[in-house]
Amino acid sequence: MIFEQLKEEVHKCIKCGLCMNACPVYKQLYFEGASPRGKVQLIRKVLEAQLEPSEHFRDLLFTCLLCENCSVNCPSGLKVDRLMKAMRAELEQKLGLGWQKRMVFHLLRSSRLLPFAMFWGRIFGPTLLSFFAKEGKVGTIPYDRIPRINPVPLIKQYSETILPDKRKIGRVVYFTGCATNYLFENVGHSAIAVLRRLGVEVILPKGQMCCGLPIFLSGARKMALDNIRHNLQILDVEKVDAVVVDCATCGAALKKEYIHILEEMGEDTEAAKAVAEKVLDISQYLLRFDLAKYLGPVRNRVTYHDPCHLIRSQAVKAEPRSLLKLIPGLEFIEMAGADTCCGGGGTFQWEHPEVASGITNNKIRAIEETQASVVASGCPGCRLQICGNLESESIGVAHPVELLAKSMNLVIARRKLR
Amino acid sequence: MLRPEVLQEFMSIVGSDRCKTAKEDLLTYAYDAYICEFLPDAVLFPKSREEVSEIMQTASANDVFVTPRGAGSGLGGAALAKRGGVVLCFTMMNRILEISPANRYAIVEPGVVIAEFQKEVETLGLFYPPDPGSAAVATMGGAVAMNAGGMRGVKYGVTRDYLLGLEIVLPTGAVMKTGTVTTKDVTGYDLTRLICGSEGTLAVVTKITVRLLPKPRTKRTLQAVYDAIDQAGTTVSKIIESGIVPATLELMDKTIIKALEDSAHLGLPRDAEAVLLMDVDGDPETVEKQAATVAGFCREQGAREVRVSASEKENERLWAARRSAFGAVARMRPNCLIEDATVPVSYLTSAIKRVIEIAERNNVLIAVLAHAGDGNLHPLILCDRRDNEEMQRVEKSMDEIVDYALSVGGTLSGEHGIGISKSKYLSKQLSQTSLDVMRGVKKLFDPRGILNPGSFLEDREL
Repeated sequence: MIFEQLKEEVHKCIKCGLCMNACPVYKQLYFEGASPRGKVQLIRKVLEAQLEPSEHFRDLLFTCLLCENCSVNCPSGLKVDRLMKAMRAELEQKLGLGWQKRMVFHLLRSSRLLPFAMFWGRIFGPTLLSFFAKEGKVGTIPYDRIPRINPVPLIKQYSETILPDKRKIGRVVYFTGCATNYLFENVGHSAIAVLRRLGVEVILPKGQMCCGLPIFLSGARKMALDNIRHNLQILDVEKVDAVVVDCATCGAALKKEYIHILEEMGEDTEAAKAVAEKVLDISQYLLRFDLAKYLGPVRNRVTYHDPCHLIRSQAVKAEPRSLLKLIPGLEFIEMAGADTCCGGGGTFQWEHPEVASGITNNKIRAIEETQASVVASGCPGCRLQICGNLESESIGVAHPVELLAKSMNLVIARRKLR
Repeated sequence: MLRPEVLQEFMSIVGSDRCKTAKEDLLTYAYDAYICEFLPDAVLFPKSREEVSEIMQTASANDVFVTPRGAGSGLGGAALAKRGGVVLCFTMMNRILEISPANRYAIVEPGVVIAEFQKEVETLGLFYPPDPGSAAVATMGGAVAMNAGGMRGVKYGVTRDYLLGLEIVLPTGAVMKTGTVTTKDVTGYDLTRLICGSEGTLAVVTKITVRLLPKPRTKRTLQAVYDAIDQAGTTVSKIIESGIVPATLELMDKTIIKALEDSAHLGLPRDAEAVLLMDVDGDPETVEKQAATVAGFCREQGAREVRVSASEKENERLWAARRSAFGAVARMRPNCLIEDATVPVSYLTSAIKRVIEIAERNNVLIAVLAHAGDGNLHPLILCDRRDNEEMQRVEKSMDEIVDYALSVGGTLSGEHGIGISKSKYLSKQLSQTSLDVMRGVKKLFDPRGILNPGSFLEDREL
């Protein structure tokens, strides 16, 4: 049953409607059921036993990016996103998950199956993707825009302890997340190379698993519990400055979601709180160093997209921008609505391609208006979504740390930046 | 209940996507920003005048109640299907049809969101002043139906003052135009202004023509903090007497100041009794002079602290307090009722004091915001609607506030409308003759009584 303290949230909604203006999904669909206010109403009705948790209710509840913009803009301070996440968990227990999600989540929670699947996925990727695809697209993203799986998972390419290039002045645990490990290895190489150059020893726990966020945000909390416990255990490393994360989503999970979920499930939250305190987005950690002296010019124009899981889940807004602005020669241009969701929302863009397209198109337009040649963003989900929908081949998407590595003249790119 | 064949007819007009009948969907159209709920039988989302006309024809032929609705941000239940039937929701009919800088007018569909429209015209150096607190969500159609006001009322007036013409659909389905696009128009009765503020009881609006102003070249914000509410009150009178017309003139009382400091830490003194926030706008030279004069008034009246902004950015910083006020207060209790009784501006201070006294005597938590420049009070009544006993005290307080406003020549509602929240007070302000005339007008427009039934004109208990 929904956590007692969250139940009170539904009564705090004064139906002012200010969330509707903040909701990218409502602004595509223009009916209440798609808005946060509407969903809070329905959750209240379910909690008051005036509404059966139906399939239609579930559809409406999942017509949401979980971008958290409603929570940020609610004058009553309602934790709308937590309420919706908790209700999703409720629904998963009552109505179960679809087979496709079940299949993917089983992979994500298994430390053996996932590498296995990724190995064969590199070879049979397109065939596998066809299970999920319509008309050459997975959701809104064309097949050929989905990056190929890393030939060798990033973690396998390094030893568990990576020594710095020079005298050690820092030590971190690096949580790569699945995306960097299996899809965007260049982000990982860049992060490691930058850290080493600065004199940071990097601990790369071999046993790290998927953070579990895609699983538990779909409602399957029990299924994600092993991932959560396991990660908390392996991230508990003595004498480190920080647990560094290069993925906005993994960061949100480690910094915030784990605690919420464990708390709401009545589990012990000690370990989660201890880890959360140490978690830093890589942009936050890097700013502790005097970076300027390492940086060489990069002639480019860059704009920055705020991932929901960074700006709202973790309140990281200034740091990635500061990093980019430090790079000499790199012209930084703020895009309109940088903090608006890109429309990806994990499985959202696959479940609601039309709605996602509308939202993504707005984002792409804002990017194009800046006339930047690179969009920086610290989230693999946003990267997939933006990259998959950019018309122009001349605009690339990169993690800020990749640009930083470039500026440090660390030649590590094994594949084209995109 | 809607007969299946009638529903079928509605569905064939708008298509099944834009006709919602599932319980889940209906529940999300049972509310607005007031605290009552009424379940409609169906929600229709028209996208054109033709669709609206066909819907009204079908509704008329089958005696189906129709309640027009915009974003549902109203504060009095005006857009709720109080007797069931269909909700006609305009959020999907939301195009800006024309902006004419040469003639300074714009034509929009009713579902256009006010703030988005304002942003659009401002890119052309134009200005649409009415800005109700809900402008970020509320629709132009809703603003017309409710004659929405807002913070700029003191200088720029309300929605009604900007209407040039309307396209409306009568309950029979007949389409009619009112007004023109010219600022001057004395041809026949002014039906445009009759429809405005009629709360969706006479006709359904499908097109709105509004007058635009040139955008003021500059704006300065002033903030003054007072130890006594009287000092703030006399400052307001001084400003108004002086002939300076500020673009906004907002007051926040001590409850709001405390709540703001608890939640947002904006650096306001916690023991202050009142804060005034003012904008002066216009040409840079005039604005400069006026800002200095107004600041002088504030100090003369004993303001302990006066800040005058030096830039757009600082304007925003000073406004942060007022913008956060509603949220800061709203989170003190589960529900927040926003009163809007309005008094002649010279009674402002006494009215605020009376509201505070009423709150204390009835043991009800009330924070007072006010559009001080036009005497429009916004007592925010904080409560929990699940507590019946508390709600009785709330109602008693509201009765007393209304009585006071009327006793000094004010009005029941300055800008939120009557809806169902204030319908029981209507006869306190309007004479029987006045009510009879209004009902006669209603009868003429809507002889079968299908538009927004249960609205303010019906004195029956719901």
